[in-house]
Amino acid sequence: MIKLLKIEWLKIKSYNAFIVISAFFALGVFAANYLVYYFKKNVIDPSDPTGLISGGSPFDFSKVWQTVSYVSGYMLLLPGMLLLILVTNEFTYRTHRQNIIDGISRIEFTQVKLLLGVITAAACTLLVIFAALLFGATAGNGSFSLDGIENIAYFFLKALTYNFIAILLGVLIRRTGFAIAVYFIYSVVENGISLMLLGWSVKLKKDSNIDFGNLGNYLPMNASDGLIYSPFSNFTNMAKKFLPSDYTWVVLSLTLLYLVLFYFWSQKRMVTSDL
Amino acid sequence: MPILSIDNLNKNYGRVQALKGVTFSVPKGSVFGILGPNGSGKTTMLGIIMDILKPNGGTYTLFDQAPDENMRRRIGTFLETPNFYHYLSAQKNLEIAAALKERGADDIPRVLELVNLTQRKDSRFSTFSLGMKQRLAIASCLLGDPEVLILDEPTNGLDPVGIAEIRQLIKQLHQQGKTIIMASHLLDEVEKVCTHVAILKKGLLVANGAVNEILASEDIVEIGAADMPHLKAVINGMNGYNSLKEQDKMLQLFYPVGKTDVEAINKFCFSNGIVLTHLQLKKKSLEAKFFELTN
Repeated sequence: MIKLLKIEWLKIKSYNAFIVISAFFALGVFAANYLVYYFKKNVIDPSDPTGLISGGSPFDFSKVWQTVSYVSGYMLLLPGMLLLILVTNEFTYRTHRQNIIDGISRIEFTQVKLLLGVITAAACTLLVIFAALLFGATAGNGSFSLDGIENIAYFFLKALTYNFIAILLGVLIRRTGFAIAVYFIYSVVENGISLMLLGWSVKLKKDSNIDFGNLGNYLPMNASDGLIYSPFSNFTNMAKKFLPSDYTWVVLSLTLLYLVLFYFWSQKRMVTSDL
Repeated sequence: MPILSIDNLNKNYGRVQALKGVTFSVPKGSVFGILGPNGSGKTTMLGIIMDILKPNGGTYTLFDQAPDENMRRRIGTFLETPNFYHYLSAQKNLEIAAALKERGADDIPRVLELVNLTQRKDSRFSTFSLGMKQRLAIASCLLGDPEVLILDEPTNGLDPVGIAEIRQLIKQLHQQGKTIIMASHLLDEVEKVCTHVAILKKGLLVANGAVNEILASEDIVEIGAADMPHLKAVINGMNGYNSLKEQDKMLQLFYPVGKTDVEAINKFCFSNGIVLTHLQLKKKSLEAKFFELTN
């Protein structure tokens, strides 16, 4: 697999889109977190000095792990899009055929793309750890703590989910423009459905006292989204008794299940279809 | 040991049957032409052999073993179109190909020189003309000096000089003992470079064997006289030929290979009161055989 990863590196190291999208992502992570810091300090704090509504400083240890993971999560469509382009490029240039002809198996071809998804998710997570340490040290007040570090693991799972969905769409659709459009539209549509399901979950709990948790968090993309809670509002905490329960273990299990599903679906598609 | 053995290979695209029970073997050291009109199943068959298409039935072996990626690495294959990363240079594309084939990148200068692309090695693939792309694909096939080459329409898009160079290269590689499997719809090309040929028609194998055997399956004697009806009546009474055909105010007599006695025909006609105005012995061309088989 190391050999195949080296070949992938030969393919992407000179690819402009790789350099540009990676730079945008890195910049985006720091810019988004800085914007939150700036907005909190200059807009929220003056009107909510006790932190009753906003819930205190989001960049204090240990909350910084949750805040930076949550905010940076909004940038994760970018590495997903990069992987999607890298996969569909193979189909556009028909190099997927040539790679197989020249001597790798169909399974190896898919596995190295999925491994690239894992490595990209790991690289994004490392960047987020660095950002959390930086913001915690410069914008927070508390002393260093690892409490809440599980949010970093959740961020990794979220990044992995986005990447695997992108790779799956690339393998299924094969055409770059159409696949990117489906990727973005799907993320918007799934969020819309997720909100509807949240409303339904609240109603179910209120009217019938049935609590299945937030059903919106059981969808493929939202499952990993739902692992990291919003760090900004105390409303959520205050309204907890009206909201469905947080079945984190269910959401975590579903996230892992979806990842396995995406992995095998991508592989099956490449192994069984004409290329 | 055959390099490639195909047994009862079938492939469907929906209701269209692209390959219908094709069976043949490619002997080691041959230049094996797969000939057929567009849509006859040549590329489909090579695609199956290279595992980019899945057959609906049948089996095949490479080097007398079950095929896998290790077998494919021993073959230099150029299938249908030159497939490279458009944003990378010729050199970098060949580095990827060499890594995939597990061959050293130190062979790249040699293959680039063989196809006259050394000067353009640092140019992006997207800036190449069709002929240059084709030559780069052939260079990629030659990486690591493989023992077998599979070339699908290798002279497509090349100018006459390029075509001659590639044909010369194929002959040289054959002389070095390499096995070359070449799909083409160009009869002339197959006739000039191949030792063996398989002819496909709408997915069906209609002929298979040494080019010399297929090419010389029949001798044709063309005869003409001033009184054609009389000539025809006389020839009907003559023995030794397989069949008779009238074409362009001539009679064509089809003989088994090597069984033709032109002098005897002339004598027979003269003794029956016919003076021939035209008498010519022709070898049946591959083109004629091809049209006969595929129409």
